[in-house]
Amino acid sequence: MSILSKMLKKKHQRRQSDNYRQILDPLKPDDLPIDRDVQMNIKHLQEEMGNSSDLVIRQIKIGQIGGALAYIDGLVDGKGISDYILESFTETKQISEESDLFQFVMDKIVAVGSIRTIRNWNALFDALLSGCTVIFLNGYSKALSGETRGGDRRPIQEPSQQLSIRGPKDAFNETLRTNTALIRRRIKSPNLWVETMKIGTITQTDVAILYVKGIANEEIIQEVRDRLHRINIDSIIDSGYVEQSIEDQTFTSFPTTYHTERPDVVASQLVEGRIAIVVDGSPFVLTVPAVFVQFFQAPDDYYSRFDLSTGIRVLRIIAFFIALIGPSLYIAATTFHQEMIPTTLAIAIAAQRENVPFPAFVEALVMEVTFEILREAGLRLPRAVGQAVSIVGALVIGQAAVQANIVSPMMVIVVSITAIANFSTPVFAMAISVRLLRFVLMALAAFTGFYGIMIGLMIMAIHLCSLRSFGVPYMAPLAPFNTENQQDVFIRFPIWAFKNRPQFISKGNTVRTGSNQKPAPPSQNVKESQNSEGKKS
Amino acid sequence: MKNLFACVLLLLSTVTLLSGCWDQQELTDLAFVMAMGVDKGKKEKFDVSLQVVVPASVASGQNGGGGQGSPVIVYKSSGNNLTEASRRAAKQIPRSIYYAHTKIFVISEELAKDGILDLLDALDRDAVFRTTTFVTIAKGGRAEDFIATLTNLDKIPVQKFIKTLQATERMLGENIKVSIDDILANLIDPGKEPVISAFRLTGNSKKGTTPQSVVTTKPPALVTADGLAVFKGGKLAGWLTGNEAKGAVWVMKKMQGTDINFNWEGKKDAVSTIPFISKTKISLVTKNGKPSMNVLIETSFKLSEINVPYEVTNSMSMDVIEKKTAEQIKKDVERSIHKAQSLKADIFGFGDYVHRVNPNIWKKMKGDWNAQFAKMEIHVKVDAHYRSAGKRNNPFWNDLKQ
Amino acid sequence: MEKAKISARQLFVLVVLFEMGSAILVGYPVKLKQDAWIAILLGMAGGILLFLVYYRLFLFYPNLPLTSYVQFIMGKWIGRFIGFFYIIYFAYLAARVLRDFGELLTATVYTQTPLFFLMALLILTIIYALHKGFEVLARVGELYFGVVYFIAIGGFFLLIFSGLIHLENLRPILENGLMPIFKSVLTQNLTFPFGEMVVFTMVLPYLNKPEKVKKVCISGIILSGINFTIACVINIATLGTGLFIRSPYPLLSTVSKIELANFIERLDVLFMLYLIIAGFIKVAVFTYAAIIGTTDLFQFQDHKKLTLPIGLFILLTAMMIAKNYAEHIEEGLRVVPIYVHWPFQIIIPLILLGVAYFRNRHNQQEAVSIK
Repeated sequence: MSILSKMLKKKHQRRQSDNYRQILDPLKPDDLPIDRDVQMNIKHLQEEMGNSSDLVIRQIKIGQIGGALAYIDGLVDGKGISDYILESFTETKQISEESDLFQFVMDKIVAVGSIRTIRNWNALFDALLSGCTVIFLNGYSKALSGETRGGDRRPIQEPSQQLSIRGPKDAFNETLRTNTALIRRRIKSPNLWVETMKIGTITQTDVAILYVKGIANEEIIQEVRDRLHRINIDSIIDSGYVEQSIEDQTFTSFPTTYHTERPDVVASQLVEGRIAIVVDGSPFVLTVPAVFVQFFQAPDDYYSRFDLSTGIRVLRIIAFFIALIGPSLYIAATTFHQEMIPTTLAIAIAAQRENVPFPAFVEALVMEVTFEILREAGLRLPRAVGQAVSIVGALVIGQAAVQANIVSPMMVIVVSITAIANFSTPVFAMAISVRLLRFVLMALAAFTGFYGIMIGLMIMAIHLCSLRSFGVPYMAPLAPFNTENQQDVFIRFPIWAFKNRPQFISKGNTVRTGSNQKPAPPSQNVKESQNSEGKKS
Repeated sequence: MKNLFACVLLLLSTVTLLSGCWDQQELTDLAFVMAMGVDKGKKEKFDVSLQVVVPASVASGQNGGGGQGSPVIVYKSSGNNLTEASRRAAKQIPRSIYYAHTKIFVISEELAKDGILDLLDALDRDAVFRTTTFVTIAKGGRAEDFIATLTNLDKIPVQKFIKTLQATERMLGENIKVSIDDILANLIDPGKEPVISAFRLTGNSKKGTTPQSVVTTKPPALVTADGLAVFKGGKLAGWLTGNEAKGAVWVMKKMQGTDINFNWEGKKDAVSTIPFISKTKISLVTKNGKPSMNVLIETSFKLSEINVPYEVTNSMSMDVIEKKTAEQIKKDVERSIHKAQSLKADIFGFGDYVHRVNPNIWKKMKGDWNAQFAKMEIHVKVDAHYRSAGKRNNPFWNDLKQ
Repeated sequence: MEKAKISARQLFVLVVLFEMGSAILVGYPVKLKQDAWIAILLGMAGGILLFLVYYRLFLFYPNLPLTSYVQFIMGKWIGRFIGFFYIIYFAYLAARVLRDFGELLTATVYTQTPLFFLMALLILTIIYALHKGFEVLARVGELYFGVVYFIAIGGFFLLIFSGLIHLENLRPILENGLMPIFKSVLTQNLTFPFGEMVVFTMVLPYLNKPEKVKKVCISGIILSGINFTIACVINIATLGTGLFIRSPYPLLSTVSKIELANFIERLDVLFMLYLIIAGFIKVAVFTYAAIIGTTDLFQFQDHKKLTLPIGLFILLTAMMIAKNYAEHIEEGLRVVPIYVHWPFQIIIPLILLGVAYFRNRHNQQEAVSIK
């Protein structure tokens, strides 16, 4: 592993020495100021954008002075432009001579919420390309940009990945502003701070950091800022790009940042002191720091009552282990530790395997790989064909393979249980890492049985304990163990018992609940008075 | 340096991993030995017979082709010790012999008389063989026939033995499960001698070994539980049968359930009671430096059958039943104690008890404990408590037309 | 020294797992028969006294490991000499425990697999963990503490429900008087496992709250001692003295006797799980002490470079210390306690304490400057 990392490091160094950045970055030549002449500006604009057909430029006149209005078609709210900008331009007949025209346009004519003055081209392109309308006026070496973002976007829909039975039904979409709004709607506190920056030398993607000031740990916020500022790649297409650029450890199959498409999850994590990273163009919001146990907490755990949630969470942890070591236990038990299997079952499995030509490991590998292929294919196929694949898969795996004596029925059961157990992990990133590790453990089991599995689990535990997410130990609050933060690990305490925020994340301000929050029936006095009132009436 | 580290680590892991699989065995490469029988050999010391299960004939379903052919095969071999015999059996068996699922170890009566000590170390030491395996004695026959007998209740004959053993232990209280561990523990203990449950083969043993015997409703050969074998010095010293065995089980604190029958006004075995909870206490009394043992048995019983007119609802009259039951139990226990004393074999572990309670006396008696045991006074007291009479009050006999 | 800080809880967990470690597998004084557990309790009491010696030394030099302060106490060259032998001692003990562990696996489950291979897998895991640093080891310990207790409590209940525990096997108590027990305590139970706390002199400076050392370590010794005693009592009660004496690994024999509801049986795997965790922690702590001692004595910059060579050295030593199991056990019971454990666990620390006491009385200045 370390050889690989060294090679990567070397390559990285070479790139930097080549002035790689300049070649990739045609947008930032020298930062020119805006010309006084509108026609020159228009020409410059068209040249810079190569006469792109979605660039709309419209000449206008205010009184005697010429001007121009530019925007990118599709990024803007067309109705807004015509109602609040164009219409007021055409309707304005009289201009008070004494006042500055530019100021007049800004104050009186352009009737949109946010309006800014721009003096150079870089800022102008930033505004234009993110959906603002730019207004040039003859004789002014500056331009106006009015906020007219709009165009077609996906509406807020139900989450497609992280479903819940009882929770809220809205999910993030691809628009940064909508997403931050969804979060802010849930935390109506001035302490919810949003910092925005642009990342990606070509894509110029907006990335916002959200945190609750006073709860989130300042050191971690600074660390997040630093890591985001350090990103120097050409494009950020999805939050996955950001995730991979800021995580603590690349060589691990475990996710060290959490991602979700549910605003309620983000809101609850912000209140716990975590930091959210919203990336424009991605419906998945990242939250850091992430710890291992977090990946077993589903939103529904908090919306239903604590006893049920606890039971389901324990079930989920069991399922995690089944998904991880199911097939390897089968291999180990049938090829190394036959004495472990109850006699009748051992004989039954032996009978089933009588005609199967492969060793158990190969049999398991064949089935697992087949299943993974089916699953991957099912994911990529158009919806209409998907069903056909699942039918074929069921027939091939369930019936034909067994009848053709390629696999034993027992193996089919093992693989199916493993697959189903795998789906119960609430976060896909954790589920997929289990899929990968399963194969490693299967190989270990085939070589040395239970001892191999245990060595594998041991190494996995060491690895997990050595991981950190933004400085926070990944296995917290289990290792290092923290008694006060066990209320949300294996047992989900009642909501009123969530007395503290996780101390490994937010230092200082950790008190969550007021005193005496336990709900109780009305006290004796109240009851008696009610009873007596009832009698009177 | 870091690269070197990684390389060495990688190399070591691959080498160790690639060279693995020494202990690996596929299920289909194993011959599951379900039962092992040892007879006195003709030429060599032991004749060993192994009952090996045929998985395909046992499992029913699409793959097994269920039930065609015999579910088990018995292989025979011989040798001067168990390892030799077992390894020689490999000549006939196409798979590697696997003892981890062996449920029963059968010793023939003939061999038991000569001594069983030579068998035990192999079983105790082997990493695969379980020392919790039951041991039984094939009374009046060869262990080989015992192992070859098929049954029609369970596909694997061994399951039948186990169930018979458990059922009689629970219902009749005439035998107890004895494992290799128990035998060894009792053999080396100077204050206790081992007993082993005995089974007897009834019917035609030749016919009982063919698969056809499974399809009949009246099996030609049956294996039935038949009392306890008493060992002394590793050799079979005698038998406890029927009520004697019951008595011994009482004293050994292993009684789970049994039936007590006694005569009533000349009618033989007219009343039957079933004790269901029992407790046995042993205590040591020393009088003038002469130790004697007290055995106190407390039990609760239900009335199971009463074939005479009787006032069951009257508590005074039930006291009589209590007394009768206690007497009957006491008779069984005393008979078994006398039998053990006449065999000079302390199967009850009285010596052990003396050792625990009074190590000083034990030091003096340890040398010839069995002789001391034989002449020791042992007092038995039984308290039987009546608990319930089942679904009815007085029996129909009370109202029967005269 | 590595720049690591561990919490009091983590140190406690390490002490408990380390002390129970291989002792619970092979450390029973079986010759004492039903009185074995008394010897363990007495050994624990002695172990606490011994630890007070180590603790007093630690108080003189709270920021230094044994291999460093021995140079201050005995002078540079003699101190280095002694320090070097301590490193060899720790490495040897790591190898011994590793061998115990390997022998157990080859004797029970992996009868055909070479010893070297089984030990190599474990030592590779340990090298990986130590490469990640002591903090990671402490965290792994915390994680496994829960697992170990889960297994132990589960196993305990299974034993009870199987009706296997016959407490009458423990009688008569003190049948042969106290002398054999005292003899066993001095030759075996004091030094193994309780005297092995000497290895913690190497890691005590890591604790983030030095004032808690005494409380944490002594409660750790007591808890592990009690667990060990309970395990011993259960083993005797389940196996009876005969089988207890005959079993090289009484706990394994006990676990394999569990039979419940006709299908919960043959639970050797539970035992193996414990075995691997315990073996891992114990070998890892010894190996770490050897590594950090070497780093300290020979002025290496980074202990990580030493994990692989010392790990492999321990693996090879484990292969070579004995021809077979009998020789290994004989060394462990006759030679090592008296000729190796006694000097390193008791005699040298006592001498060190004496010298340190006089030096610090005459020369307060030195002690202050080191602090």
